[in-house]
Amino acid sequence: MINKSRKERCTKSTHRLSALLEVGSVSIMSVSWPERISSFMRSPSQFMCSTTAEAFLAEILRELRDDRASDPIKVLLLSPLLEHPTLLCPSVSVGEETALELMSVFSQCPLKSLVLRCHLLLALTSVLICSSCVNSHTSACQDFLDLLFQMAQDTNNVQAAVLPLRATACDCLRELEACLPGLLSQRLELLSNLRQKENSGLHQAYTGLHTLALRNAVYLLTQREGTGAGDLKAVLASSEGFVWGERADTASLDMSLLSALTLGLMGRVPTLQTGPDSKELRSLLSSLLEDSYLLTSLSQAALLRRLVEILAMVPAVSPTIFRAQLLRLLGTCEVCLLHVTLLMKAAFTDSLFSAEDEAFLLKRLVGLSQHPLLSTPEKLFYIDCILHFPENRPISCGDGDESLPVLFTPRLATALVPTLFNDSASMLARFKLLSLVYLEEGAEDQDGQGGRGLAYLYDHLTSLLRIMENQGSREMVVTFFRACFLFLLYFCQVRCYSEDLTQRLSGMYRKQTRLAPHLINLADRTQEHLDQSGWALALLKSLQRTITEAPLAQLTLQDLRWHLRILARVAEEGEIPQRATLSFLLSVITSSSSVLCVSGDWHLGASMLGVCRRLLLHPSLDSLLTPLADLLQHLTCHYGDTDIQDHARLYYTLLTTLSREKLAGVMSQGVPERGRQAKVRSLSAIVSETEELTGCLTVQHTERTLLALVRLDSREPGHPEPVSKTCSEAIPGGSPGQEAVDIEDYKAKLQSFNPEITLQYHLTHTGVHDPRLTSSSAFACTLTSQTGATRRVDQGTEAEGV
Amino acid sequence: MSVRALWIISNEKGESVAVKYSRRYPTVEQRAKRLAGSLYVGVPEDNTVLQLLLTELGLSDPDKPYMALRDDCLHQPRSPALEIHVEGPSGGVIWPMLAISQGPLILACLPLVDAPSEFRPPLASLFSVSQGLTLLAGLLAFLLGSKGKPDSEGLATRLAMLPSVVLQVCPLGTPLDIPQPGTVATPTVPTPAGTQKQPAWKTGLHRGRAVVNVALSEMVRSMQYGHEHRQDLWDVYGTVTCKCEVEGVLPNVTVTLSLPPNGSPLLDVQVHPCVSSLDASILAAMSVEDCDSSAFSGPYKIPFSPPLEPFRLCSYTSQVPVPPILGTYQLKDEDNQLHLTVSLKLHESVKNTFEYCEAHLPFFNRNQIGNVEVKVTSGQLDVSKEKNMLVWVLGQRFPKSREVSLEGTVSFSGLLPGPKDPLCSELTAYIKLYFRVPDMTLSGCCVDQHSVQVYSSAKPRIVTSRELLSSEYYIWNSTGNAPVSSGHSLL
Repeated sequence: MINKSRKERCTKSTHRLSALLEVGSVSIMSVSWPERISSFMRSPSQFMCSTTAEAFLAEILRELRDDRASDPIKVLLLSPLLEHPTLLCPSVSVGEETALELMSVFSQCPLKSLVLRCHLLLALTSVLICSSCVNSHTSACQDFLDLLFQMAQDTNNVQAAVLPLRATACDCLRELEACLPGLLSQRLELLSNLRQKENSGLHQAYTGLHTLALRNAVYLLTQREGTGAGDLKAVLASSEGFVWGERADTASLDMSLLSALTLGLMGRVPTLQTGPDSKELRSLLSSLLEDSYLLTSLSQAALLRRLVEILAMVPAVSPTIFRAQLLRLLGTCEVCLLHVTLLMKAAFTDSLFSAEDEAFLLKRLVGLSQHPLLSTPEKLFYIDCILHFPENRPISCGDGDESLPVLFTPRLATALVPTLFNDSASMLARFKLLSLVYLEEGAEDQDGQGGRGLAYLYDHLTSLLRIMENQGSREMVVTFFRACFLFLLYFCQVRCYSEDLTQRLSGMYRKQTRLAPHLINLADRTQEHLDQSGWALALLKSLQRTITEAPLAQLTLQDLRWHLRILARVAEEGEIPQRATLSFLLSVITSSSSVLCVSGDWHLGASMLGVCRRLLLHPSLDSLLTPLADLLQHLTCHYGDTDIQDHARLYYTLLTTLSREKLAGVMSQGVPERGRQAKVRSLSAIVSETEELTGCLTVQHTERTLLALVRLDSREPGHPEPVSKTCSEAIPGGSPGQEAVDIEDYKAKLQSFNPEITLQYHLTHTGVHDPRLTSSSAFACTLTSQTGATRRVDQGTEAEGV
Repeated sequence: MSVRALWIISNEKGESVAVKYSRRYPTVEQRAKRLAGSLYVGVPEDNTVLQLLLTELGLSDPDKPYMALRDDCLHQPRSPALEIHVEGPSGGVIWPMLAISQGPLILACLPLVDAPSEFRPPLASLFSVSQGLTLLAGLLAFLLGSKGKPDSEGLATRLAMLPSVVLQVCPLGTPLDIPQPGTVATPTVPTPAGTQKQPAWKTGLHRGRAVVNVALSEMVRSMQYGHEHRQDLWDVYGTVTCKCEVEGVLPNVTVTLSLPPNGSPLLDVQVHPCVSSLDASILAAMSVEDCDSSAFSGPYKIPFSPPLEPFRLCSYTSQVPVPPILGTYQLKDEDNQLHLTVSLKLHESVKNTFEYCEAHLPFFNRNQIGNVEVKVTSGQLDVSKEKNMLVWVLGQRFPKSREVSLEGTVSFSGLLPGPKDPLCSELTAYIKLYFRVPDMTLSGCCVDQHSVQVYSSAKPRIVTSRELLSSEYYIWNSTGNAPVSSGHSLL
């Protein structure tokens, strides 16, 4: 099959590669190929740490030529080339050489090794396309195309055994056409004949190939000036060579060739003015449609999709040729066939679908969205299709936003109300859909209470809330808060519900303080998205009240931990008075029954200081001065943890000695939270502010690694192992395996007579230059130590140095 | 129209989560790169994909009650397509990752967005999404096997077959077909070179005696509240499954479904792609709108050319006037024990020959069942092995009166706590019925043996059957707070 010149080239490349094989043989360990290949496939990057792509490729190619290796092993060997060709063949030349090698293997492969031969064709396609050989139009590429075409045309061999090979050849050709649109645009007649003559199931492969080539050819015609019916006729009857054309340069490739043409954006589809005379195309399309029933659902849908595109480009052929297929498609149980019908509707609207068809299709979608026999992803997809329903006469501009079709009445919508029996995703999808319905309904409502629909949604929310109070699962909790957010997003302005929700959430928090992080998250998100409504503030105020007004006697340590998180969040709000918070903290810490100070729990102390730190930034600080100072002083003097005492002392000093502005500047440094970064300002009141000076005196955040902590390994002092890359990352990093060894070491140490661990690191400059940093920049180094599940950030060890 | 990559993940409880199979399509990836331009985000390695996917699915770190990345309320996973957030310098958002999961399996694929990168197109406009969904559903059905539930051995065998299966159904990223679950048992021969085109969904030809098997299976669902303010609900959905062993490349078979004279029409009819043509009247009636009494009610003629393997010819739903079994359930809490009153009545139109009929009365959020003093008028009452449920075995027949009842008290004095359920707190409780009635349907729908037409030379043997099965058949305690299950109250 391979001509002489190609054989020569193969031999040449074999010589060149043989040098590499020497290298490769060194790294062949006792590890078997299946293990090596699976280790490569699991993580190519990690695999490449122990070898080079060049050596690995050489090994693979050598083993492929080895007659002793079995077919299954060879198939396995091809998988790296099939799935990661760019890694193994990074350049055109390597790609070319590899392709020649593979073709040589293919030519020597016995005919009975069918699976291997199929895999070889697929691997060749991957390598040639991904190493850009096809774009450079290399000779290997030309040879491969000839080979594929030859096989695709080899229709005389009707043995069942070779059919898969022909099918694979067609698939490879289709992939090449997909990546190099227009490649087969001058071979349409041949492809059409092959398709029509084929009676075995293989006609599906020819159909796929033919329709894609046809679609690309028609598109290319629309891009040429002054083309008409004659040109279309000529293209359909063309039987010339491959068109490499200007496609060689990928940059110039028209993206429309790769993308779908009818993305619901009619009017942008380029058209071919053929006049009424396009009967060749019409008969071709009719024959394709006639046989469409014989294709698998997936291929049938793909064919219809291509035909929709072609018809959209050639207005002379009426879309009514689809009509005969329409009922079959509307009644289908296959998601891909119904979807393509929707896309057809988006492209041709009322020239193919009557108003009745439209109403039918929408009701059908509603029915399918809740059909007991369908899987959840399918139902969710149909709900999405309702929100993007291609209406014949859309009111909105169709900018891709979710909107309700006019025919989607509240009556229809009742079929999709969310219930407690739905899974989370379906519940949220239905909640969103119904919110949109009732938003419109509510707008017409006179008393501003929303209608019965809205009442239903709110009832649903409260039912969810009840479930949560009965120890609902984590998933339920998350879903409830998501539903809450959706509800607020649409109906925050309906006071009776939003106020009631605030009350209920506070009540729920009283019973289940563990939900604090969810509540904080809900407050954050509603504040971001509904700042005007003030709902988040109301919630936080209500939570503050819940916490501070509850009897202290019932307060557990666990509750207090969550309370402190909520209060810290409340303290971030300038508009919320903080006196109650402070008196709560003071009474907690000073009450006679409190063992808090004595216990000296670092975490609790730190959480408490977290609230104080935010209070130091609070706009009403002046009025809080005395109680806050009292609190800090109490912590300084009585808290049973030195670190907390130190921090409290620092805050106390800052509070009592710095001006408001400076205090705010100091406290807000380096803590950008949820995007609410403090305004960057210079702290110096002595020098006038210049841009450069401001730059020097503020904390700079950098993406790149400037400093690295390099661990000094006691076992191998000569090879320091870089541990952590950025000063913000946790230490120690390194490989998980190493970490496990370390932990075991540490455990042994800690149980030993002398429980002390010395960690030695060098702080080094990575050599990366950042123009914002001058030689006089100051760096703050934060050390974080992690014990078990808790993580301790020790800010007390900030070190400044030039 | 293609997928960039495909993953099969096993997530067995107690075992670690792992990628069992993955397949990347670099030529599709290349197109993705060219289409996305500077916004291109490559597919990370399997382990990273796994972690990110689990986070999106809410399955990562199951021990942590709250994780910002996983549980943020802004994040609304209400579509089949997930956003995967890849960190790092070459990071960004990968969309639309499709994922379906069942039992211990999670299947995911990443369809190609064949649109210019400036805007994110609506999911519904991306053809590759439905292709991806079909492919994943097909692979899932293949992996789960004919029983629909994976046995670990069978699963391992089928996982091992995946490379060759994927070579056939999706060799270069464009899904061509879905794998056939199981092998065809009947003798088939490869197609001879004939004049008639062989359907691509038929791998060979049947040789031998012609047999057509049509099985009609109807499932009835019900929510009964026994409450004057809450309407009881029930509906029916049915499937017609065929196995046709008929000679010929493209043999014609017609199955006709018929209803009794004043039966309510079949709704939401959906057909298999092998159905060659359909009458508009068959599709017209739908459950989401009010039924028109003058609507077409059969006979429903469905012509098709069968594939070799068994397939679901069509499905429908139906709104029948009465539920097969009407029940009431009342609970009273009396000094740490529950007083139960249950009555069940079999409707006169339903055949009184069950294969099995059981009523399960589970009790949640209480201790294990201690003392049971309950009398039943028919059947036999057991306490489940776990001591958290009463099982009332009604057997094959209801008594002549077609009514059975249960009355008595149950105390929960067991030492161990029983199962928890957030829905069924206090007096919110239900009875769930399980039954099968052979040779009947509630809608009255039937396939007459003589109505099955096969246009082939040999006279075929035709076997038809039908059955009624319960599915989600609940009777709620009328003294408790039963959850709403539909929007009927809004009508």
